[in-house]
Amino acid sequence: MKIEYRMFAVLGVFFACAGLLYGLWGHWREPVGAVGLFLATLLAFMIAFYAWFTGKRMGPRPDDDEAGEIDQFEGDYGFFAPYSWWPLFLGSSAALCFLGLAVGWWLFIIGSSFGVVALVGWTFEYFKGEHAL
Amino acid sequence: MVAMGTIVWLSSELMFFAGLFAIYFTIRAVRVDLWAEKTADLNVKFASINTLILVVSSVWCQLGVWKAEHGQSHRTGGLLDIRNWGMREWYVLTYVFGAMFVSGQVWEYANLVKEGTTLSSDVYGSVFYLATGFHALHVTGGLVAFLLIIGRTFTTRHYSHNQAIGAVVTSYYWHFVDVVWIALWATIYLLK
Repeated sequence: MKIEYRMFAVLGVFFACAGLLYGLWGHWREPVGAVGLFLATLLAFMIAFYAWFTGKRMGPRPDDDEAGEIDQFEGDYGFFAPYSWWPLFLGSSAALCFLGLAVGWWLFIIGSSFGVVALVGWTFEYFKGEHAL
Repeated sequence: MVAMGTIVWLSSELMFFAGLFAIYFTIRAVRVDLWAEKTADLNVKFASINTLILVVSSVWCQLGVWKAEHGQSHRTGGLLDIRNWGMREWYVLTYVFGAMFVSGQVWEYANLVKEGTTLSSDVYGSVFYLATGFHALHVTGGLVAFLLIIGRTFTTRHYSHNQAIGAVVTSYYWHFVDVVWIALWATIYLLK
């Protein structure tokens, strides 16, 4: 994880410097840029910290090794859903809810009841039955 | 993989709140007079207690995470035997505290509306309700996530690794929302 956390840390330092420069140049009269840049600093440092922390917990990976081979990195990466209809269902429900904001609350209520079914369906899709994760 | 993705998503959420903070500071800078008038109506003591409730809920959440990491999804002793609680019991307690926070927000909104500050009354109202409202929606989303995560513990006989990961990343989200609220509370109620 060395490369990952260094990349994001460098980005964080850059945003911090940019924010400071922006603020000093404008005599801190314009707050949007400064707030945006300093929170972008946090964005980068948040990922950097997590990558560093995970790297420390997991130990070195094959890709941290200069002489590492591609085939050393085989094996499980995690679980990825092979296919699922639920995202489409949930997206349509959300669209119906947003349409409801424009048309009327009655449509929002109909949309949200579809949304509940879709959300539960998606969350539990691979967590039930014989091959539950 | 799931954990890393959650962190990347949360960092983009941080930028969403960055936008809200930027709106708040900009409008405050141009309407100092309105801020002096409107922030007098805020109930700082109530908001501080509500903040404390949310912070404590994060502590309960973390205790649940440690149980999840040890593969303990539910309690092994009686209900009052707190030492042997599992992830499920701690997450229910987190849920209760989170729900108390949202209820407190609703109560505060009701009081402010009574005093004439609404979303469309003036620019202070717009900014106040946008910032705290989007945060409250995030907390409510977190509450729904807790229900789903607790529900997932019932689908298998043994608590699996993937179920535990779901519990852990939900706690990341919850801690994030908690930290954002501390920043919002400091900005709105302490700095005024």
